[in-house]
Amino acid sequence: MSVAHRPSDEMLASFAAGQLDEGLAVVVAAHVEMDHVSWRRVQELQAVQGALLDAIEPVSMDAGPPHSRLVEPDKLGVDRASPGGEPGLPGVLRPYALGPWRPIGIRIALRRIEVPGAEARVFMLRAGPGIALPHHKHSGLEWTTILSGAYEHEYGRYAAGDFDEADSDSDHTPRVDPIEGCTCIVAMTGNVLLQGWLGRLLQPLVRL
Amino acid sequence: MVAALALTVDGMRKAGAAAQGGRFVVLFDPNSLIAAIARSGDRAAFAALFDHFAPRVKGLLMRGGTPAELAEEVAQETLLAVWRKAALFDPAKASASTWIATIARNLRIDIARRETRSRLSQVYEILDEERPERPDETLSGAERDVRVRAAMTQLSADQYRVVELAFLEGFSHQDVAHRLAIPLGTVKSRLRLALSHLRGKLEDLR
Repeated sequence: MSVAHRPSDEMLASFAAGQLDEGLAVVVAAHVEMDHVSWRRVQELQAVQGALLDAIEPVSMDAGPPHSRLVEPDKLGVDRASPGGEPGLPGVLRPYALGPWRPIGIRIALRRIEVPGAEARVFMLRAGPGIALPHHKHSGLEWTTILSGAYEHEYGRYAAGDFDEADSDSDHTPRVDPIEGCTCIVAMTGNVLLQGWLGRLLQPLVRL
Repeated sequence: MVAALALTVDGMRKAGAAAQGGRFVVLFDPNSLIAAIARSGDRAAFAALFDHFAPRVKGLLMRGGTPAELAEEVAQETLLAVWRKAALFDPAKASASTWIATIARNLRIDIARRETRSRLSQVYEILDEERPERPDETLSGAERDVRVRAAMTQLSADQYRVVELAFLEGFSHQDVAHRLAIPLGTVKSRLRLALSHLRGKLEDLR
């Protein structure tokens, strides 16, 4: 996989520090899982936190070590995240409930990802080869990680593993790859203003 | 001959005195303490780790604006997790401090977002397990850790302060600007500069 578009260092730093809204974080995590450069970057930023922990002024604890709560330590592997989940989906989606694929137009389907407590709405979008996604504008953020296939807009071509960030200044019409189609995971804050006949058709269905 | 014997005896007496005092000064070695917990549930090793790290986890969280009571709870739970997960610690992947800092981050999220049943800490754990295919990784996690520290010592005081605040919980870039009484744009440019400095240092060393 050759990834061309990545989140900024500042965004990865916010991700590594646990400061992102969980919906936005899930989309960043899907990218990090697919791209070894960003993965390594997150490891480095976690090492920054380790270094800060070493350098911090200690604050004495009110209570000592909780000896009464020391049960048998876990054996290797017991505490690992449970395997499973749907094949073909990013591992980082395993903790979340996914809705069914719902057609929202001709050769476009949407699948909700339930992220409790998130401000952003998160969903997967699957679009058939060659179609133009609805022309739209945002009032908030729209972060996307491409899971398979590709799309293209004025900032370039976005293929599997790429991360795409659009904000309220963006006004674009992604064109889906004519052969492969495109499946992506999207987190959105604020409202999306769909335009044109397709947009008006989709708006009530998508409730974005 | 006598002198040599006397010296030896003297040496032995000194060593004996030191051993009786039980106060050999050794470097704090968290890796071997964690290994001792994993191997044999060593409670003395746990107490030593707790004494070192719990006040630091608490300090780091309080520096980020977490109330003392909550910081204490996260610190307690973090060290308990270190006890439970000791066998999962891999010194080749990251230093003990980095490992413990990520556990503290995850627990802080779990506890702060308890009522919404956040799953974000599971997402971080899955990412740590499922590393993407890496064609040419030559650096172990532990080496990366050492280099990040080296690079951080070369940040200017201003840059270090911005990095520190930007990594603490609950501080938006706007809050950092307020606390340091500098414009938001300056926070963003210092942070960007500091991060690109770290990136540059790490790439030089790669």
